Formats: sequence, C-alpha cells, structure tokens
Amino acid sequence: MWLFALPAILINVFIILIPALLTFAAAFVVWDGVGIPAWAGLANFQRMFDDPVFWSALTNNFTWTLIFLTVPVIMALIMAAALLVAPAGRLVVQCIIFLPRILAVAVIGRIFQGMIFSPVTGIIAWLNERGFAISDPLADPDRSLFAVAGVDIWHWWGFLAVVFLAAMRQISVDQIEAARLDGAGFFTLMRYVLLPGIRPTLSLMLILTVIWSFQVFEFIYIVTRGGPAYGSEVLATLAYRHAFFEGDIGQAAAVSCVMSLFGLCATAVYIRLQIREGARSS
Amino acid sequence: MSISRRQVLAAIPAATVAAALPQGPAVAQDGRKVVTFWFGQANSDGQAALKRDLVEAFNASQDKYLLQLDIKGAAVNNLLKVALVAGNGPDIVQTAGPAYLTAIANAGQVLPLDDFAAKYKWKERFLPSLLNTGVYGGKLYALPRDYESMHLFYNKELFSQNGWKLPTNRAEFEQVADAALAKGIIPFGAGNADWKGVNEWLMTVFFNNVAGPDNVRKALSGELPWTAPPFVEAVELSKAWYNKGYFGKNYFSLTIEQSFLQVVNGKAAMALSGTWSFGTKSYGMSKPDSVMDVAPIPGLSAAVPKPLLHLACGATLSIAKNSQNPEGAAAVFDFMLTKQFYQDMNRDWPGKWALPVKDLPPDMLKGVAYPLFEKTISDMHDAFGKGQYGFTTWTFWPGATNSYLIEGIEQVWLNRATPEAYLGRIDTLFAQELKEGKVPPLPPRTS
Repeated sequence: MWLFALPAILINVFIILIPALLTFAAAFVVWDGVGIPAWAGLANFQRMFDDPVFWSALTNNFTWTLIFLTVPVIMALIMAAALLVAPAGRLVVQCIIFLPRILAVAVIGRIFQGMIFSPVTGIIAWLNERGFAISDPLADPDRSLFAVAGVDIWHWWGFLAVVFLAAMRQISVDQIEAARLDGAGFFTLMRYVLLPGIRPTLSLMLILTVIWSFQVFEFIYIVTRGGPAYGSEVLATLAYRHAFFEGDIGQAAAVSCVMSLFGLCATAVYIRLQIREGARSS
Repeated sequence: MSISRRQVLAAIPAATVAAALPQGPAVAQDGRKVVTFWFGQANSDGQAALKRDLVEAFNASQDKYLLQLDIKGAAVNNLLKVALVAGNGPDIVQTAGPAYLTAIANAGQVLPLDDFAAKYKWKERFLPSLLNTGVYGGKLYALPRDYESMHLFYNKELFSQNGWKLPTNRAEFEQVADAALAKGIIPFGAGNADWKGVNEWLMTVFFNNVAGPDNVRKALSGELPWTAPPFVEAVELSKAWYNKGYFGKNYFSLTIEQSFLQVVNGKAAMALSGTWSFGTKSYGMSKPDSVMDVAPIPGLSAAVPKPLLHLACGATLSIAKNSQNPEGAAAVFDFMLTKQFYQDMNRDWPGKWALPVKDLPPDMLKGVAYPLFEKTISDMHDAFGKGQYGFTTWTFWPGATNSYLIEGIEQVWLNRATPEAYLGRIDTLFAQELKEGKVPPLPPRTS
C-alpha cells in the first residue's frame, strides 16, 4: 500500500511540506534572499504587527472573504436552482456562465481595467461622454477592493453555479416533485429541499472559499497591485511586496504564516465537519 | 538490463556529487565558449536592437565567444536572485540598478571586476560618478549600463500657441500650470496604472528640486533625518500639486503611454518623465521632433536656484560568482564600449543603453541621428561629468524605503496620511536599512 502512496507522499513532502517548513523557518530570520540568513527571533512578527498596512491588508482579506461567502454563492445557488427547475437551454446557459472561468486571469484583468473601468478607453469613458459622472472605481482606495472583487466574482460565480447544479441533480426527483405538488414555491423548495440536499457540497465550497480568500493574489496584483494607497492590499500582495520589492524574505514569510493560519483553521473546520458527517451516516 | 532498488539507491550519492562538481563553460558547435546573459523587459524595437546590435554584432566581432541572450521579462530580478543562490545563473548578471545590486554584491554573488577593469582600462573610460555606484568595500562589482535623468518633456507647439514660456522657477511653473488648467488642458500628463514606479519619478523631482540635492545627499548619508523641514516642504508641494489637479483627474487610471500621449496630442502641456521616454515609439516622440521639446527641470524652491538633472543608473552589469566564462563576459562588456555599438544601440533604442562613457565626442552622438536625444544626452553627460546632479530614488534609495516611498505617497495625496507621518515612516525604514548596509554607494557632487 505504501508503494502506491509513495508518489503522492513524495510530491507532498518535496513540493508542499519542505517549502512550508522552510517558509515557517524563514519567518524567524532576517534574509534578503541572496545573503546568509541571520536569526531574528520574533522580530519579523513584531514589525509585522507594528505595520498599519498589515492590519489594513488583513481587514481587506476578511472583507474579501465575506463578499465571496455571500455574493457569488447566492448568485450561483439561484442560477443552479433555476436551471434545475427550468431545464430548457440549460446547456447553453451553463456554457455561457462557465466561459469566464476558462479565460486567463491576466486577460480578464486587462479587459476590466482597459475596456470597462478606464476613463479613457473603457465603458466608463463612454458613459462619461454621455453625461454620466462615473469615476474609475479602481482609482479610489475606498472602492478598489470591491471593484476587483466584482471582477473575480464575474470569473468565479459560473463555476460555482455549475458545481451546485451538479450537486442538486443528485437530489431525488421524487422529493423535488413531491415538494412542488405540496405547493412549494421557488424559495421554499430551495430552503427545505435543495439546500439540505447539497449541504456537503455547499459546506465544502464555503470552506474552500475561506481558504482561497486568504490566498487571493492574481486579480488584485494584476488589476490594482494592491492600491491605490493600499486600498486593495491583501496579505498575499503584501507578502509579495516584502519578498520581491523590498528584499525582506523574513517579513514576507511572517505574513505568509498568518495567511496559512487562516487556511489551517478553515481546513480544521472542514475535517471536523467531515468526521461529524461520517459519524452521522454510520 | 534490470536495475535493482539497491543499485538505484547507490547511484543517488554519485549523481549528487556529479551535480555538485564544477562544470566548464558550455561550448557551441563551432567550438566557441558560450556567454549567457539574461535581459529584463524589452519592447519589440528593443528586442530587435539587442539581437542585431549586441548579439549578432558581438558574435561577428570575434571568434572566441558566443553570446546567448535571453529576454526574461519583468520578473528577471526575482529569477536572477534565485538562480544566483542556486549557483545556476547566467554569466552576465544584469540588475535594475545599484539599489538591486547592493544585496547581490554584499552577498558575494558577483565577481570583483578590478582585474578586468585594469586590463580593459574601464576606470579611465567610464564616468566616475556612475562607475562609483558599483564600488563596494573598495572593489568594483558592476559597470553602469546607462545613465538616466528626469526631464521636463513639453509640447512646444502648445506653449507657443498659448504664449507660455518655459518655466525657470516654481512660480513660473505654477503660472503655466494654472493657465493650462484654466483652458481645460492638463498641466502634467501623468499616470501610474501600469507602473507604480511613476510615483517615485515624481518624488525624485520633488525631493531634489524642492529640498535640494545637498540635503538629499545628507539624508542618504544618515546626516539629516527625512523628517527635516526641506523634505516636509517637498512632500507638501507634491500633495498641493496633486490636489490642484496638476496631474489630471485620472492619474491612477492612465498608463504611462496614455499619459505621455496626452502631451504629444496637446491634451496635456508637460510631463515629468525620464530619458527612457525617447526609446518608446508608441509614446509619440519623433525624430526630428516638431511638437515636443525637452529641458532640465527647474528648481522648485529657493534652495535650488538652477535647473537640475538627476543621476540615475537604470541597470548594472556584473559577472556571476559561478560564471564558467568570466573572460567572455568581460569581452562583451568591452565590446559595449565600441563607438559602433554606442551609435547603433542609441540609434535603434534611444535612452535604454546610453552607456556613461567618459569621453563623448560630438561625432559619437552624430551617428545616433536623433537631435533632441543627442542634446539631452550631451547635457546629462556634461552635468554628470561635473558632479552637478540630484539623486534618483530608484538608484540610491534602499529597497524597503523605496517601496514605501512609492506606495506611501499615494496615502498622502489621497489624504490618508500626513506628510509628517509619511516621512516619519521613511525615516524609520531608512535608518534600519542604513544600519544593515543596504544603502548603495553615493557619489560626491559639486554645487
């Protein structure tokens, strides 16, 4: 049995475990990435906690998580349920809503930046010319995070809808039809039949959303680079800045450890749910 | 033939030792020793110029070495650090300037060039102010690939139509800017949507042209805190100009190209930009130029009575510690000093490879065939040769301080931090980096 597991174990040890341990160790040294690391104790964490940008980045990660636990999930649930109860055109609609998922993140970022939000070349410019005073949300530190989240939601929600639809199709048709014969409307059906029926899938996706939300990097880095004025800075962009612009690997590792901590918490919750689910079914 | 598990295990140490053994330089099919060189970003013109004027010309000029150049893109600095630590980098190590070189040189990842410098007489052939930026602990670790400076690019047609004169001080600058605003013209075409470094281009101007280059040098030497009144005045002026709309309403939305084109198209009057602007065709500059003109940026306070140029080195060239062909790399460096290479590269990609040679006779520039660029280079060469310059942030500020300088100024402009708080944080970060030896070497200057 060990021989079968060996490739997976080797990959996990060399690609995940060792780099993770090295990152953890790097959080306790001062290192510029090319010289010799020097022991720093908890100094990197002390500096991180003293840095107001760290706290605003952490807050932005929580905001991002909250947005992604609600907006795309609600949109996807409604779409999946609608496609379940009204199957006409299901294939076409699925293809359309899934399409953004297969586009490269860099391409999507540039499309929204240049063709939608830009006050020179985008739809916003077109609206401005017609008398609508709308400014570029990416240029406003109070709105930039929400604007980038909007871009990522456009990319993400269709995938969620397809996953939820696949899960809903596992629910017994008899159960759904019985509910409808009993007079259940769309939202009643959702509340009492569909949501309980896809609970394992839903909880998995919510937990993965928490993990991914603390790792979010590409969209923010491509579209705003964390700005303006740190308005859309998150932990991953902050760690990247420390590592590759400031040459401070220790600080970057300390920030990465905080990111991992939230991921670990979410994973622990998931494992606990799994155990409880297993105990209930046995 | 079957191989047992024991044989495989026994082979691992041997393979490890073999991998660690020193290797000779790669040899091309024609027997020439290969010299490897990783380059950062280059537009299509730049890539063509690199291929034709550097690689093909060098390989045709001799038969001992074969130069192989890889365009690695914007991530080259990160790739290079990892490769050097792994002992697997290119022979020629190009960094994005002294601020990037400091960590690599301090870590001993590049070779001292003093022996090659003596052999090829580099110390007599490069401008000392630029060459000194590659000296650490008395040893030369890098050659400057170019010199740059911030300049005032302006639409001379627009100036002429409106009767504006080239400003020579802050009052005149603001007079022109206000007149432009009153006519619905953006005073300075500026935008950082694609490159946040634009913030530091502007702050280089404010720090030097308001606080004065002597105060900047003192601060970089640790003799004056960054919280001193001249720097507060500099940051406050940058904020006042931003809030007055001098940089337009869309600073955070426009790309560098879009903002520069505003000046060329007459939608904006001026741009505070660097000499690299000559080398990007899409910016709209032409040779000869009937629309645009270029001038040194005037002083913006009583402390800076004359226009000022800003000493910058956009890239350094070194030889990797683990290079198997250091002689070949040095031969490439020496080839760069030929008149033909200088003229060809500056003609085909102006401003990107303006090698800071000590002697710049007029006929050397004539071959470039770009009058505005020739005039600018000639002025820079003169000022840098005399030691009359300010200090650019991307050349002389250490990494963490520079990163905050770029990001933090947005907080000041958008009223999320006071100039005092901004400078206080810069002072804290700088003091730490100065203590850690991360500040690049500072050349002397004369008034």
